[in-house]
Amino acid sequence: MKFLNFLIILIAAIALTFTSCKKDDDHDDTDHFHEGNVTIAFDHVWGATEEAFSLNKELTHPMLNEKMTFNIFKYYVSNVRLKAKDGSWYAMPESYFIVDADPSGSNLVTIPNVPGGEYTDVEMTFGVDSTRNTSGAQSGVLDPAKGMFWSWNSGYIMLKAEGTAPTAANGTFTFHLGGFKGENKVQTSKSYNFGTTALVVDGDREAEIHMVANPARLWHGAEKLSVKSVNTMPNALAKSMSSNYYDAVRFDHIHN
Amino acid sequence: MIRHKIRFLLFFLLIWGTSCQKDQDKSDFGLAYPDYFPEPYYKFGKNTLTKEGFELGRALFFDPILSIDSTISCASCHSQGHAFADHNTRMSFGIDGKMGDRNSPAMFNLAWQPIFMWDGGINHIEVMPFAPITNDVEMGETLENVIQKLKKHPKYVQRFQSVFGEKPIESQQLFYALTQYMTMLVSDDSKYDQYRQGKVSFTIDEEDGLQIFKAKCASCHTEPLFTDFSLRNNGLEIVSDDFGFGRITLNEEDNYKFKVPSLRNIALTYPYMHDGRFRTLEQVLDHYDKGMIYHPNLDKNLISNGKLGIPMSDVEKQKIITFLQTLTDYTFISNPIFSE
Repeated sequence: MKFLNFLIILIAAIALTFTSCKKDDDHDDTDHFHEGNVTIAFDHVWGATEEAFSLNKELTHPMLNEKMTFNIFKYYVSNVRLKAKDGSWYAMPESYFIVDADPSGSNLVTIPNVPGGEYTDVEMTFGVDSTRNTSGAQSGVLDPAKGMFWSWNSGYIMLKAEGTAPTAANGTFTFHLGGFKGENKVQTSKSYNFGTTALVVDGDREAEIHMVANPARLWHGAEKLSVKSVNTMPNALAKSMSSNYYDAVRFDHIHN
Repeated sequence: MIRHKIRFLLFFLLIWGTSCQKDQDKSDFGLAYPDYFPEPYYKFGKNTLTKEGFELGRALFFDPILSIDSTISCASCHSQGHAFADHNTRMSFGIDGKMGDRNSPAMFNLAWQPIFMWDGGINHIEVMPFAPITNDVEMGETLENVIQKLKKHPKYVQRFQSVFGEKPIESQQLFYALTQYMTMLVSDDSKYDQYRQGKVSFTIDEEDGLQIFKAKCASCHTEPLFTDFSLRNNGLEIVSDDFGFGRITLNEEDNYKFKVPSLRNIALTYPYMHDGRFRTLEQVLDHYDKGMIYHPNLDKNLISNGKLGIPMSDVEKQKIITFLQTLTDYTFISNPIFSE
């Protein structure tokens, strides 16, 4: 039995060697580019005027016409992949990030060791894929100690927005949005095309994708904070608020 | 050429031999269970089960360091003598004398259990301890703080490193260790098990009880684990706004559904039901016989010919209880390897 296992491993190893040789051949045309890092920056803006968004700053929601000051705004982005000019995809392994408006965290998603070449699209999932919601104790960015996992109703809090609002019931608002299954599943894959200019990955050369995201969009369709200021479980409201936010995230520009 | 072949063969044999050795070392410690048990639901995967990992989990299970004021451990409400249910109290006390709102369930054969908590809200054994550790009326602690405390504890730092390698303690390691301990809590040596294994015979009443049980109870309390792990509404009078499974799904059709508990060790784990409302097995069987209240979500198995409940005579009830006593596993509740 063990011998058989060894043989299987041996054959697999040989097969792998061949596969990787083949892969190298495929990438002949990108040989003059060197592996490098790609950064996706999420620039947060507020409302249709796109004024600068930041935590601990009083903002007025243009549709609700209510004042609010965020002290937490963060969300999961996962499974980032890049589409090369030849149509092939580079998928980052173990690709999980918390995009955090707080300077103690980061609004940057960094994809290390991307094969050199030119890229035309980026795809990412807002939220955490269902597999990781059902696979037990995770580590790193997915560690429940990050405060982004429900203890009593297993699953990731995919987006957390908290702060104060004078019109809200207790003077505060708390939105923990998540839910990974059924009709109210929150996680959503989005793909963005860079248009005419390709993203060039070539060693230390800067390769930065700028996305614009607008937290005010959470309340496109949601009730005023004076009516509803807390939602902390998977449900239809979590679905609609997060969809409204994710759908409005747009590609802005790239830095090469 | 031949010598070359022999050398190659020797090389293979060496590798083969080494791996066999390794398997043997491991087989000293592992999840053992009778052949009539199904395959465990939990797959250890990255969480390699070892004696040291199990012992670390055991130390953590008995250590109040997991609670905010170091007063409550897992074992405070899950006592081995009661098959890891609480000490026959209806509700359990957490930090500052705060009282929980459900009966602490027994803990055994958890490697076969796909969902956790009375409402089935937890989908994986590894993240189960996250709930009591952080619940305000249980241990009231944050995961972050537990990890900080463990990192400052030289004994734990050393033990975590010997189990998980030289890396900082993370909640995953805490959960892995606790899971190793919890999954090893296998209860499979009750009189019922010895009967199944042909080691003992049942009395006439026990045998009768088993047959009545099979006819009236086993559709939900399925052998050999004595639960089918489903969530059902069993017609309890509604006395609180605890929606059970409905609290998790927000679907009205799931209201007042609770997890079907295993009946192994049931004689030790009174009081019964999610809120501990019944003190004796007689009261439980009376409920199923004639105490049921209609609810739109009432389990279909509990209605026959328009009548609620499972009709049972007093003699049948007594025989069922006699059979249920055979599910008590004295080896399990006195096994020193599960003790502090």
